[in-house]
Amino acid sequence: MSRKTRTRSWKLRAGDFVIVVLVAAAAAASMVVVARAGAGEKGSLAVVEVNGREVRRVTLGAGQARRAITVDGWQGPSTFEIENGRVRMAASDCRDKVCVGMGWIDTRGRSIVCLPNRVVIRVTGGRKAGNVDTVTE
Amino acid sequence: MAPTRRVTNLALLVSTGLVLSIIESTLPPLLPVPGAKLGLANIAAVLALYLFGPGMALEVTLLRCLVGGLLRGSVVGLFLSLSGGLASTLVMIILFLLADRLLSVVGVSVAGALTHNAAQLAAAYLLVQNAALFYYLPYLILVSVPTGLFVGFASRRVALSLEGLSLA
Repeated sequence: MSRKTRTRSWKLRAGDFVIVVLVAAAAAASMVVVARAGAGEKGSLAVVEVNGREVRRVTLGAGQARRAITVDGWQGPSTFEIENGRVRMAASDCRDKVCVGMGWIDTRGRSIVCLPNRVVIRVTGGRKAGNVDTVTE
Repeated sequence: MAPTRRVTNLALLVSTGLVLSIIESTLPPLLPVPGAKLGLANIAAVLALYLFGPGMALEVTLLRCLVGGLLRGSVVGLFLSLSGGLASTLVMIILFLLADRLLSVVGVSVAGALTHNAAQLAAAYLLVQNAALFYYLPYLILVSVPTGLFVGFASRRVALSLEGLSLA
């Protein structure tokens, strides 16, 4: 190694600001791209949770015939229906029926929540099956 | 630089990087996004680059990742830190050599932080094969601005303190 310790000016240069602006712009651009890619994408899986614990997962797909599945909620049964890649709460043992009123969902990331009966239906899954099991640093 | 000096400086920089990453692992995470780290250990690579040149920077990064991987005992962790560390060091070296008049250590460090996060995400994708990982990309790009600035200014501070010492 022949290079000597550089004596240099440690002042900020114009390029530093350019880099910061470029990186911030890249962040904004990628945010738009990711939002576009995710939005409107049909989910492939409905995950049903009661009181935070997963009780059921049902695959969603186009052309499915309607079928009803009942799970035991916190205070009573909740019945949800799967049809043609979408899912809705059909009947629920709760007072306000907000969950039933939410209607059909089919988009990834959407969910139906029934607070009184502590039932959550989430639509997940995408192009590829399987979710992240572990994340390391 | 005499070989003994060189080995000593290399060892000092590698252990500085290791200690910094241990210190960093005790800090709470910046964001609930995996990989969004302050990257304190990168200070060692930046200092190696600016004080001793590209060869030293590569060696410091390589050794820091390998020894760090041995300490943590995780092969996956080693793979991720090597890919992030080497990619970012290479980009910093290129910018250091090509754009020395345009960029100071701060800009180079921001570019290095960005490369580190992007390369690590790509490596993680190779491991888990799940495109959902890329949902983290915007956040990882965004945090590389403050973390890169921090590392850049910290390195500059250290380098200014070392100025006048004959290290080489």
